[in-house]
Amino acid sequence: MGEASKVSRYLYTVIILFVIWLFLTNSLDPQELTMGFVLSLIIAALTYQVFTKYGLSNLHPKRILYTVAYIPYFLWAMIMANLDVAYRVLHPKRPINPGIVEIKTNLTNDIAKLVLANSITLTPGTMSVDVKGDRLYIHWIDVKDPSLEGASKHIGKPFEKFLRVIFHDDN
Amino acid sequence: MVKRILAIIFILVIGFWIANALAKVPFGEDKMLVGKYYLENVKEQTGAINAVTAVVVNYRGFDTLGEVTVLFIASTGVAALLWRRREERSAEVDGSLILKTGSRVLLPFIMLFGAYIFIHGHLTPGGGFPGGATIATAFLMIYLAYKEYEIDHNLFEPLEGLSGVSYVAVGLIGLAIGGYFLFDWIWQIWEVGDIGRLLSAGFIPIIYTIIGIKVGTELTGIIDRMIKESKEVEG
Repeated sequence: MGEASKVSRYLYTVIILFVIWLFLTNSLDPQELTMGFVLSLIIAALTYQVFTKYGLSNLHPKRILYTVAYIPYFLWAMIMANLDVAYRVLHPKRPINPGIVEIKTNLTNDIAKLVLANSITLTPGTMSVDVKGDRLYIHWIDVKDPSLEGASKHIGKPFEKFLRVIFHDDN
Repeated sequence: MVKRILAIIFILVIGFWIANALAKVPFGEDKMLVGKYYLENVKEQTGAINAVTAVVVNYRGFDTLGEVTVLFIASTGVAALLWRRREERSAEVDGSLILKTGSRVLLPFIMLFGAYIFIHGHLTPGGGFPGGATIATAFLMIYLAYKEYEIDHNLFEPLEGLSGVSYVAVGLIGLAIGGYFLFDWIWQIWEVGDIGRLLSAGFIPIIYTIIGIKVGTELTGIIDRMIKESKEVEG
């Protein structure tokens, strides 16, 4: 999928900034809305070129749905990983087997890779060390499977199925 | 032994002094007359909810103009010290993909947040200085991520000068209308806005927007100067 037109990219940036403004001010006062709208227009004009590539098509209902679904999914994964690490810390025998593994990702979009790497880092027990091309290097507290395929299936795949749709890798 | 006795005497003497000094301070009374005056009159006189901002921009506006000048001198000083040894970045490679993408995607959000901080200076904690610093961090991140990146000096430097001039201009308009420098004519004569909403507090949001732009561009300029350490000029 190619780049969207300038107008579409600009409008998308304005919309996202305005939504963020609504969250920041937590107010529907017309003065706040006007100021937010003006600021969104100005800041979007300065930054839309670096901010987005696909423009308004990011707001396709299917992508919004997947984004909304991703939040509880990710929070759940984070809670489970927290409990798992807490268990390892408190266990008298300290059952850890740390190491750095390489995983492969099918995502091609840079922003998708960024979100994937950060999702991996934010779930305790795994931490992204580096991204090179389609490979991520992950420090893993308990290496269950050192092979490329096995590690990818354990660490990356659960997040990837969401990110692929959210960030336009679904073609 | 003598040492210990001397130490005890010394401590007793200090204790006596401190006790004497504190004995004259009335207990439980409000000594902060100036602070009390500000807190009691801030709403009627300036229209701002945030008393700190009102003191900084309105009651002591001249002092803040001085602070802005100090920052300007600091930035000029950095430029003067480093002007012969610029041009080259020492970074050999760009940042990793995560840093590069992250700084690019977060740029609009950080700028919006900085603008939010300085626009709401009279309502919430914050104001022009933290707002401007927030905006400068966005550019710092881009500088760290991309070794080729350089701000548009033709845009930043005039903007910095223009915001400094507009601050003085706002002060001079006050002088013309109200009779003294930095007189808040918008609140005291025009009486624009309702206390507690965005449009209130006279010229505080205007001055804070000016300060926000000035601090943002100035700190970004300092970052630009300092990150290009480099190739000493021979001779």
